[in-house]
Amino acid sequence: MKGKRWESRLLIATYVLCFAMFGSLYLLKEPYDTGAVVMAVIICLLFTYGYIIIRKFFPDGDKFIIMFTAVFAVIGIATLYRIDTSVAIKQVVWYTIGMTGFIALVVLLPDLKSFGKYKYFFMIMTLIFMGMATFIGQEKNGSKNWVALGPIGFQPSEFGKIFFCAYLASALKDYKKFKDLIQPAVIVMISLLFMVLQTDLGSALIFFGIAITMLYISTSKSKYVVICFLLLAVGAVISYKLFPHVRVRVNIWLNPWSDYDNKGYQLAQSLMAIATGGFLGSGIGLGYPELVPVQISDFIFSVIVEELGIIVGFGIIILYFLLFYRCMRAAIFVQDRFSQLLAVGYSTMIACQVLVIIGGVIGAIPLTGITLPIISYGGTSMLTAFFSLGIIQKISEDA
Amino acid sequence: MNDLSINIKKVLIIFLFLFLALISYFSYFVIVKGEEVANNPRNQRLAAKRNAVLRGTIYDRDGNALTKSIRVDRSTQKREYIGGLAFTHIIGYNSTKYGRTGLEETYDKELMAGSEFSFLDRFKDSHKLKNQVGNSIKLTINSQLQNLAYDQLRSTGKNGAIVAINPKNGEILALASNPSYDANNLEKDWQAITSDSNKPLINRALSGMYPPGSTFKVITTVSGLENLEGLDYKMFNDTGKLTFKGTNYTLKNYGGSATGKINLEKAFYKSVNTYFGNLAMELTNRKLKNTAEKFYFNQKIETEGFFINPSKFPEIASSDITNIAQSGIGQSEILATPMQMALVASTIANDGVMMKPKLVSEIISSEGETLKVIPDEPLGRVTSKEIADKITGYMRKVVTQGTGTAASVSGIEVCGKTGTADHARSITNEAAAHAWFIGFAPQDDPQIAIAIIVEEGGTGGTTAARIAKQIFQGAFK
Repeated sequence: MKGKRWESRLLIATYVLCFAMFGSLYLLKEPYDTGAVVMAVIICLLFTYGYIIIRKFFPDGDKFIIMFTAVFAVIGIATLYRIDTSVAIKQVVWYTIGMTGFIALVVLLPDLKSFGKYKYFFMIMTLIFMGMATFIGQEKNGSKNWVALGPIGFQPSEFGKIFFCAYLASALKDYKKFKDLIQPAVIVMISLLFMVLQTDLGSALIFFGIAITMLYISTSKSKYVVICFLLLAVGAVISYKLFPHVRVRVNIWLNPWSDYDNKGYQLAQSLMAIATGGFLGSGIGLGYPELVPVQISDFIFSVIVEELGIIVGFGIIILYFLLFYRCMRAAIFVQDRFSQLLAVGYSTMIACQVLVIIGGVIGAIPLTGITLPIISYGGTSMLTAFFSLGIIQKISEDA
Repeated sequence: MNDLSINIKKVLIIFLFLFLALISYFSYFVIVKGEEVANNPRNQRLAAKRNAVLRGTIYDRDGNALTKSIRVDRSTQKREYIGGLAFTHIIGYNSTKYGRTGLEETYDKELMAGSEFSFLDRFKDSHKLKNQVGNSIKLTINSQLQNLAYDQLRSTGKNGAIVAINPKNGEILALASNPSYDANNLEKDWQAITSDSNKPLINRALSGMYPPGSTFKVITTVSGLENLEGLDYKMFNDTGKLTFKGTNYTLKNYGGSATGKINLEKAFYKSVNTYFGNLAMELTNRKLKNTAEKFYFNQKIETEGFFINPSKFPEIASSDITNIAQSGIGQSEILATPMQMALVASTIANDGVMMKPKLVSEIISSEGETLKVIPDEPLGRVTSKEIADKITGYMRKVVTQGTGTAASVSGIEVCGKTGTADHARSITNEAAAHAWFIGFAPQDDPQIAIAIIVEEGGTGGTTAARIAKQIFQGAFK
């Protein structure tokens, strides 16, 4: 029963956060912006509804995962609302679809164990999605990782990630000897190569993180990890020499000010936004998100920190870790190896994404354009995040 | 618990460290680098924050707006200078790229001062909070006179400056500098403005350093009357030139003419160089310098709203007699700003008391309420009323029968002193001398004191005195 008390506390805290943020937005406009309050009510209803369903019908599952996503959604949508109302409305739609998908997965999906046998299906899907943008992709924000099919545009590598984890989980679940690793190794390398060719270095880094984590967990051999890092180092040096866009990324990271007017502009703006915000931030509506490029997706963290302060930045990072912890916890207690590896894969995917993009916008590592899960604007990103979390939720129930 | 679960726990710990590393770098960035990055001049937030307040207006003395600020969006506003080119140097510019000059700089704080808001006011009057307008300032400048002065300078086709002051309270009525530039098109014209050899950015009235020539004889006369008893009764034999033992230099009168036996008054209105050269030697450098410094040469002059380049009077060794003699006629190494010379005329007009020059008379809130009235302040007594009166008489004679008759205006008793100042280029015959005129009017109750310089404009008695006439006529229309 102790868990339940914490859940309701978290629920109340999320309501407070939601109304505090949208309340500020309500006061900001002239005359008062009732749309903000409507927005807050809709979001609260949505996550409360999701929480009640999970709590009532699937009491064995983890209840914190959905609560953490609610906090991220509140922060994300409120920030988007402050930048551009129409984007926030679209994001609410994506959030609704994501939540629906999440619950649908938990309700409808049969036992996950049975999916372990579709290794080749996952493999083919992985290769299709990874390769898609290389052949029919368009350039967006400096990466050729965007595909438009009729009116629908999406980032195939986002879906690729889902299949990538599923493939690795199914391939590694039966690991006995070294030979079993050859096929997955080839698939991982092909995927990484595609990402580098699409100049989507962020995704490449995430795939590497997922692959190495899953490899270690299934084999328990740290020497493989060491070998992989050596290979990564070699690969990194080669791509640095071979691809100019890799060199550009590294040079900007080392000194964003040297090419301020051109390539370094994005990172420099992000750093100035964060530094100006300081510990407590300027306050909602008092910062200058319009100065930060790609402020609704890749750089949303900088915008949030400028207005809400480093403190909230810390909070977001810690909360992502807690989400990661809850997800991995589900993996610890489940018996089936496929489910276990799948949960690890999806958790690592989210954690790596957070580390890579936040590390990038604060200048800790070279910046690569990817989204911050659930907070950033974007349908594909929202759907993959909720899909993975839905699977993990399902796994947590079996534990 | 199987192997996998143990591995998962290990991975969890590794990720914990990765997240901690992220937080550590984040803290490091904010604590160590944060301030430097935030204060980077490229950070547009600093300018944007300033722009939360709409810049106040600058008005002339009659309340006509000389500037206009228009809100573009939340973080940008546009400043328009609607007074015309005549006002550019006074107002200056406010540019994110080139900084601020003129009153835009000295009164920046007032112009950007938004209203103070308490926490509760934010809710009660949020409309006002979002539409804050800075304070306005009211100048002492008379727009008609300012435009007249600028147009007069422009009509000469030469560089120059004109200053007009109310001698009784120090209010600056006109402050013109030619050439000017358009502060509305700074970015477009910057290249042309900065590469122009006439240097239009310089406010010649306040920063231009010129040899004052014969206009400096006013100060030599003050020094003579203060230090040498009965000077105005003594006679001097002018042979047209002054020679110096041991040198081949001769100090000549303008045009080389000799006036014979003359007293101080005649020497003054005829602007006899030999007389004042001789007087400077009699006074010694120490005494003349002392008087010049009472007129604020070599010193910073306190002002309201602007900065005057300090004028220079040299220290000359007593053996260097040619230079000492030249210092009596405003040559040697003496350099004065037009503002300095206007203050000299103004001091004589105001019975020997120099008033603190001021460009701004009032600070007004955006609602039109007067927040501060700048008081009239004397800088101090420079010379006695008797001496000032005596010199006033001499200056009147300059205009009635001396070198400055071109400045006379019927119905107004104009007093003045002309100057034709040699400078390096004019001595080598490469160019004409600078034309000067300083003066005030009317004699009995001075309302306006002026200084005019036209660079390489020829003689003061023609070029500068003619402009003086126009200015006085304009002022008393």
